[in-house]
Amino acid sequence: MKVPQSIHRKNFKLIASFLFLISATFVVALFIAYDFTSNYVENEFSSKKIYVLEQTVKPYNDFFQNRIPEITFYQGYLDSTSAAKYSKSVFKDYPFVTQIVFYDVQISSNYLGKKGLGVGIQSIYEYKQRDGEVISLKKQQPDNYNDFSVMADKLDHFIAVADTTHEPAQDAKFKTFYDIQPEKISYLNIPRREEIKRYRELQKGGGRSSVYKQNMVTFILDQNAIKIKNAYPELYHNISIRPVVYDPLENESANITTEVAFSGALSNYKLYFSSPKNYLTAETNHRFMPIAGMVLLIYFFLVLIGWLIYRNLNINLKLFKLQYDFINNFTHEFKTPISVIKIAGSNLKGDNELSERQRKHYGKILDEEADKLNELMNKLLSFTQLENKAISLKKESINLNDFVRGYIETFRIKYPDFRLDYRIYEVDSFYSDPILLGSVFQNLIENAYKYSSPMRRELYIYIRLDKRSIIFSFKDKGIGIAKEETNNIFKKFYRIENQYNQNGSVGLGLAFCKELVNFMAGDIAVKSQINEGSEFIVSLPYESGNNLNN
Amino acid sequence: MLNRPSLLFYSLIVLALFSCNRLQVRKIPVSDFFKNDEKSFYRLSPDGKYVSYLKPYKGKQNLFIKSLIDGNERMATSLADYSVRDYFWTFSNQIVFSQDIIADDEFRLFTLDVSSLKTRNILSLEKGRIVLFYNRNKLEPDMVMIRMNKRDPAYFDVYKLNVKTGELVPYLINPGNITEWFPDDDGKIRLVKTSDGVDETILYRADENAPFKPVSKSNFKDKIQPIAFTQVDSCFYALSNINRDKTALVEINYETGKEQKVIYSCDKADITRVSYSSNKHRIESVACEEEKEQKHFLASDIEQLHNLLTRQLPTQALNVVGRDSAENKFIVFAYTDRNPGTYYLYEKVNQKLTKLGDINSSVNPDELCAMQPVSFKTRDGLLINGYLTLPKGAAANDLPVVVMPHDGPWRRDSWGYNEEVQFLANRGYAVFQINYRGSMGYGKAFYSAGFKQAGGKIQDDITDGVNWLINKKIADPNKIAIFGGGFGGFSALYGMSTHPKLYSCAIVQYGLINFFTYIKEVPPYLQPRLQMMYEMMGNPTTDAEQLRAISPVFHTDKIKAPLLIFQGAKDETANISELNQFVRELKKHGTPVTYYLKPNERKYFRSEHNRMEMYGEIEKFLEENMRVKP
Repeated sequence: MKVPQSIHRKNFKLIASFLFLISATFVVALFIAYDFTSNYVENEFSSKKIYVLEQTVKPYNDFFQNRIPEITFYQGYLDSTSAAKYSKSVFKDYPFVTQIVFYDVQISSNYLGKKGLGVGIQSIYEYKQRDGEVISLKKQQPDNYNDFSVMADKLDHFIAVADTTHEPAQDAKFKTFYDIQPEKISYLNIPRREEIKRYRELQKGGGRSSVYKQNMVTFILDQNAIKIKNAYPELYHNISIRPVVYDPLENESANITTEVAFSGALSNYKLYFSSPKNYLTAETNHRFMPIAGMVLLIYFFLVLIGWLIYRNLNINLKLFKLQYDFINNFTHEFKTPISVIKIAGSNLKGDNELSERQRKHYGKILDEEADKLNELMNKLLSFTQLENKAISLKKESINLNDFVRGYIETFRIKYPDFRLDYRIYEVDSFYSDPILLGSVFQNLIENAYKYSSPMRRELYIYIRLDKRSIIFSFKDKGIGIAKEETNNIFKKFYRIENQYNQNGSVGLGLAFCKELVNFMAGDIAVKSQINEGSEFIVSLPYESGNNLNN
Repeated sequence: MLNRPSLLFYSLIVLALFSCNRLQVRKIPVSDFFKNDEKSFYRLSPDGKYVSYLKPYKGKQNLFIKSLIDGNERMATSLADYSVRDYFWTFSNQIVFSQDIIADDEFRLFTLDVSSLKTRNILSLEKGRIVLFYNRNKLEPDMVMIRMNKRDPAYFDVYKLNVKTGELVPYLINPGNITEWFPDDDGKIRLVKTSDGVDETILYRADENAPFKPVSKSNFKDKIQPIAFTQVDSCFYALSNINRDKTALVEINYETGKEQKVIYSCDKADITRVSYSSNKHRIESVACEEEKEQKHFLASDIEQLHNLLTRQLPTQALNVVGRDSAENKFIVFAYTDRNPGTYYLYEKVNQKLTKLGDINSSVNPDELCAMQPVSFKTRDGLLINGYLTLPKGAAANDLPVVVMPHDGPWRRDSWGYNEEVQFLANRGYAVFQINYRGSMGYGKAFYSAGFKQAGGKIQDDITDGVNWLINKKIADPNKIAIFGGGFGGFSALYGMSTHPKLYSCAIVQYGLINFFTYIKEVPPYLQPRLQMMYEMMGNPTTDAEQLRAISPVFHTDKIKAPLLIFQGAKDETANISELNQFVRELKKHGTPVTYYLKPNERKYFRSEHNRMEMYGEIEKFLEENMRVKP
């Protein structure tokens, strides 16, 4: 049987082009994804520095916005002891503050004969931290008198111009009471409106001679004690605090660098980020992996779908082939009796007088061929019925001995060269549908005869009980079935191609048997050895005929 | 779709359920509680021909004058910007009144001629205060005494002001230490009190030209409060607690400074009020208050008068708040815990009592709640007095409670009408006021027990009081709010941070958030007063740790429960930038805080609109935090 080759070829081309296309897409996708990832990593390298800066200066901002203004809460009442306590808490929370200079400031109308607001220092204390302890040092002179004089001048100016009817504005407060120098912040507690009024009077030379207290605190910062919070260790191999002017000249550009400047008291410094190129490449690869994995997964998924489609096509092709086969066979099958009938018909129609013998002969031929056709039709019909479960079981008690003997007798008459024998163990009767069971017997016996070489046409049937089943075994010495074919022989329209089934076989027999047995809730199996013989074993659930008869 | 009859039916059911729920207690609108006084500040003219009072006009208190001869009632002023703050009559039938222009930080003084109803601005002072003092000299009817801090904002001088000419003559320049002046019956100041903060000295001078000489000296824990000169014995009446715990009415000799005799004393409480008639030169009655004010009469005719009035106005607490020079006509003020106050005119001639007006007629006393004096023992065995107002129509158990610690701390809560208390009680909250240690009126020992106890035993007293209410099953321990102004606001904030489980929310008005700032209010040149402050509150230098520990501004991280804060931006004692910083920090820590800063208000909200808004917000806030939550 030949299947047109063109179908196959077209299919293959399609599959090949499909595979090629998705493979190409896969490769392209990988390239694009890698490029994209690499760009992304580079972008992140230059953009995430802001976040690192934010995280790094967070304690500084917290210190600047909360802890420094806390001095004002003391309203100028800080003294050496409470300032020491304050310093201790600052040192503890903000390790980048290395030194605190506390000025106990006095405000009076005339200080040292100076005109305007007299702002003088009563005492100076310096606090440092050593081994977790705060060391305080009383000083006679400040290390840097400038810190104080700048602040004093600012205050003097502020008092001179302040609008005492309103709360001073935020920016005026910032300009006056903060003095931000590189690595140094000086802060003077912000007087209340009441005090500003009084200071104003003092400045004008009026008011009552009294001494007001203010607190000035200078914080010395160490930029190196700022903890760098590298939130992206995968991007930045090394982050360091460098002077703003730092710019190393590197011969090979093995490192990628970026920087961001600090603000406020730390504005002389910047955060300097550097990473070796291969560090970023590694990161790119690292990030690329899952993307590549995803692409690969999609690729495999597509291939899988392709394969499934291919398989589906293949099955359809086989089905097509089978049906083609079937039609071929059946037309052949139908053709033989029809042509015989045709010949018989034309002979009968002929002018010659028919002898009695001839007439009988033709009649017999017509009868036989009609039977053959009928049988074929029945077979086909019952098979479709069976497949659609359109028939019902008509069970009755069967005397096995009589039943088997009947078939053996029939076949002995039909095929005189067929040697048949049987044996029944421990069982007399069986409750089942005799017609269906008979069909199974007929098919299997017929096959045994058909697929045996003329000298070895033998069949041995034996029946026994096995637990709750009844086993019918049909053992012949036929040509046998190759192992790889044993699974296929029960399929519809399947025929092993050999010399024995050139004629009169449709490839339905065993499939029909299997359908029947399954219909009766049983099973059929085959044991076979090529050139030795086959044994078909039918097992059916055993129902004793006696019990039900009674 | 519901058809019409069934809709009506369902709405009736809903209505019925709703009214059952409210237990027949009507929700009195916020505006009825907190509207401006309808008619208040009744005064009689010295000649007894007129009655004057304040009544709102365009939302501001304006002067109205009623003639007692023809019954004519006229509006005398039409101020639309700020209310009349204070006023009195002169003997020449002029009215002098003052006005506080909050937005400009200015005080103005006006005269009002009663016959022509013309007003004239005779004095203005920017960035200072004018206090109407008194007028007692009938011989100089146009002269009134005022106090002003014009010369130095830190202290007041006494001036003589001619209301006709506007001429201003300094009468008594304050050397800087005079804190109180005690005019005699003729209007001469012959007794003053000076204070260096710690020690108070009573000074006496024989006449206006003689120098003051000290009479007696006392520590600030003690108190001598001169009332008036006695007519004999070179003595003056005074309230004194020297050598005794509870302040008593005594006579002190101004020559020797010795206490001559005790006129009257109470065993349970200080004598806090003395009624003195400068016309008849005699003490009429004294009053002390442990639970409710108890009066003792020293003049029999006044006692008779009082008894007579009491027969006509039973169950009401009565005070004489005004009289004419001849003492034939009296203005009587009657109040209860459920009545904001009613003014009556009593005429001796025909013994007639006429109702003049109500402070607030919108609230019906029958709908309000009784204020019961209660007392409890603290953990260290001290007896603390307080007042408990239970909501009407609810069983006295498992109630949501609003605790209201008073401001001060050197003040007290008294029995009487309090619109905040009544408002909260009407909304279904039990209101608990506590006269914690340090409160005035319960004797020297009780008062000084509160020294340096802010955030210490004072707070414990409040906590003990709340626990006492919980143990008595009156309070629902899950629904306790704390609400206070000034020091009471501090108690609320501190209570929230130290007992976060006790209070479910807090409301703070003009809250004290930083004791350093509080102490700073005393300028450094008042060294002695600083000393007193240091002794009562703590020394900001040596007690810095303690003050830091209790000041809420340093501990924004400890307050977690919802907070409602009100503040007037023109409050002189407040440090607004500090409060802003405080609120900002609280918000940063995730505390649910609602903050209202009203630009043109001082401590107490004068604008009716702002007051309504404030109490509306308080109602909503309590509703959200006390009712919804389990």
